[in-house]
Amino acid sequence: MVPRSTIYHSSSSTNTSTEVDPVVTCTDVSRHFTRGSSHSGWFSRSSQSAEIVTALSNISLSVTRGEFVGLAGPSGSGKSTLLHLLAALDTPSTGSVALAGRQTNTLSTRQRTKLRLDHVGIVFQHFHLLPSLSARANVATPLIELGYSRRQRRQRATELLANVGLDDRVHHTPGELSGGEQQRVAVARALATDPDLVIADEPTGELDTTTGKRVLDVLAAVATDRAVIVASHDPQVLDRVDRVIRLRDGHRQKVDETT
Amino acid sequence: MILVSRLTAIASVAVAQLRHDRTRTLLAVIGVTLAILSTMLLAGTGLGVVETGQEKFENAGRDLWITGGSVQFTPSQVGGVQNSIYDAHTFADELRQRDSIRTVGPLLFQTVYVSSDGEEFQTIASMGVPSSAGVSISEGRGFQGDSHYANGSYNGPMTHEILIDERTATLLDVDVGDRIHVGGTITSARNNEFTIVGVSSTGNQFLGTPTVTMPLSELQEITGKTGTDPATIVAVTTTNDSNPQAVAQDLQTAYPELTIRTNQEQFQATLERQAVVLAGGASLIVLAVVAGLTLTLNILLSMVYQQLPQYAALKALGNSSITVTGVVITQAIIVGILGCVVSLGLVIPMANGIDHLATTITGFENVVRISPQILLLGIGVAATMSLLSGLIAGSRLVGLDSIRILRNQ
Repeated sequence: MVPRSTIYHSSSSTNTSTEVDPVVTCTDVSRHFTRGSSHSGWFSRSSQSAEIVTALSNISLSVTRGEFVGLAGPSGSGKSTLLHLLAALDTPSTGSVALAGRQTNTLSTRQRTKLRLDHVGIVFQHFHLLPSLSARANVATPLIELGYSRRQRRQRATELLANVGLDDRVHHTPGELSGGEQQRVAVARALATDPDLVIADEPTGELDTTTGKRVLDVLAAVATDRAVIVASHDPQVLDRVDRVIRLRDGHRQKVDETT
Repeated sequence: MILVSRLTAIASVAVAQLRHDRTRTLLAVIGVTLAILSTMLLAGTGLGVVETGQEKFENAGRDLWITGGSVQFTPSQVGGVQNSIYDAHTFADELRQRDSIRTVGPLLFQTVYVSSDGEEFQTIASMGVPSSAGVSISEGRGFQGDSHYANGSYNGPMTHEILIDERTATLLDVDVGDRIHVGGTITSARNNEFTIVGVSSTGNQFLGTPTVTMPLSELQEITGKTGTDPATIVAVTTTNDSNPQAVAQDLQTAYPELTIRTNQEQFQATLERQAVVLAGGASLIVLAVVAGLTLTLNILLSMVYQQLPQYAALKALGNSSITVTGVVITQAIIVGILGCVVSLGLVIPMANGIDHLATTITGFENVVRISPQILLLGIGVAATMSLLSGLIAGSRLVGLDSIRILRNQ
C-alpha cells in the first residue's frame, strides 16, 4: 500500500506537499504536564510541589484516509499522549492539531466531544465495554448521542458486529465473550459513527498472538477507507501497518515505511 | 423525536446497569423503601395521635377541663398520684350552681392493688367517677351511683361494683359477674371485694394502661382519701347557649389557683407534655431520610466508581456529559420509583399491623393514620432522595477527566 500522507519532521517548518486532504495533522506539537498537583476527589488536597514534565516535544505528522499508521516506542515515550492529542481528547501545550480541518486547541471541551463523535473512533487496550450491556448495545452506545431510533441503532450495531465476524455474538455480554471477541466489539463500537479516524491504543496488548492477528485483520480492513493509527509495542502490529512512527522520550525518532 | 430516542436509550442503559448489579440495586431499593416507610409511618403516627386525640376530647362530650396544675406521681404514697383538687364534691356542686354549666364530673386517678383471688396482687390504674353515665360500656351495665359519699359523711352504702377494661379482664382472667379484690393497699384490697358489672375502655383510653373504673367516693374510701375528697381533673359541660371560652375565663377569674382549659387547650397541653416524644419522632424522620439518601448515594457512587473507565470511554467516544450523567440519574430515579412503589404497597398493611399492636398493648386505637397527604409525603421523599442522590453521583461524571481515568488503566 502506498501511503497517502506526507510525513515531515518538526525541524522542517514548511510542509512539503499534500496530495489528499489529511484527516488529522499535528504541527510542532508539544505537551507538558504538571506532575503532583492534580485533584482526584472532592476532599483531596493539591500537592505543594509541582513538576513540569514534557511528554511530547515538537512532533509533526499528518495522516490521510486509507492510511494504517503505527506509533511505536517504549513505555513513557509519549505514544498514548500523541494518540490523545490526535483524537482531540487533549489539546497541545504548544503547536496545533487539526482534525477534520478544525484546530482542536480553539475548541471547547464540548465542541471537541462533538468533533470526536463525528470524526473519531477509539479502541482501548482494556476494551472498556459496559459489562451490563450486550455486544450489540455496547456497539450502539455512541449512536445514542446522534438520536438514532432504537431500531436504527440495533440495525447499525448488528451490521458492524457482522463485519467483525461476531454476528453470532450480538446478544452476549462482555463477560460471555473472549478477549479477542471483546476487542472486536470495541472495534465495531469505534466504527459505529462511521469516523474518518480510528485510534487504537495497544489493541492487541491483552490478546494472544492468534486473537491479536484477527483483531489486526479487522483494523487493516477498516483502514481501507479511513485513517487508522495504532499505538503498540507489538511487532506483529508494526509489521502490518503502512508506516511506523517511532517515538522516544517524547521525540519522534524516525519513520519506517513497511509496505 | 431525537430527544425521545436519546431518553429511551439512556433509560435502557440505566435499566441494564441496574439489572446487571442486582444486589446493589436491591440494597438501594431497600434503603429507599426503609426511608420512605419510616417517614410515612412516623408522620402517620403523628397524624394519628393528633387526630385521634382531638376526636377523643370531642367525643368525651366535655367542654372544659379543670386541674390544680400538673399531676404529680408519688410512688411512696397510697394511690401513687398526688391530686391537687380537693373537696371535689363541694367544688362540683358549686360549679353546678352556675347557669352556664350543665354537667360537672370530678375524676380521680389512682394506682390500686387488684387480685382475683385475694392472694396474688397486681398494681393497675383506677378511675373514680361520680356516675357511670359518662362512661362507655361495651358489655354488662354501669354501676349504681355514688351513694357512699352521703353528703360528705362517707358512711353511705358502698355499691362494691366496678367496671374493668378488656386488658384488665385478660390480666386477671376475670369476666362480668366475677368478683375481684381492690384497694389502695394490699390490706385494703383484701377487705374490699368488688363485683364486675361491666366492661368499659374509657379509663384505658384516658390513661393508656389497664384500668378499673368505680364510683368516685368508693375509690377515695379504699385509697384512704376521704378526708380531702380529692379529684385529679374535673370535666365540665357547658350549656348549649354558652361559649366555653367565655365560661373558662369566668371560672379562671373565680378560681385563679386552678388551671382551666377548653378541649383544644387541654389537647395542646397534652401534646406539649409530649414535646420530647414529638421531637424524637421528627428526628427519626430526618434520620430515616438521611440514612436512606446516604445508602442510595453510596451504592450509586460505588456503581459509578466501579465503571468509571467505561463511562470515561463513552465520553472519549463522543457521548456527552448529559448522556453519561443521565444514565446515573435515571438509575437513581428508577431506584426511587421502585422504592416508592414497594413502600406504598407496604405502608397500609404495616400501619394496620402497628395499630393492632398498639391497641393490644396500650388500648389506643387508630394510632397510625395514613392519609393521602402522608402518601404524597412518601412520594415527595422518594423523588427528593432519588433526584438528589442521582445528581450528586452524576456530578462526579460531569467533569470526568477521561484521559486521566484511561491513562491510569
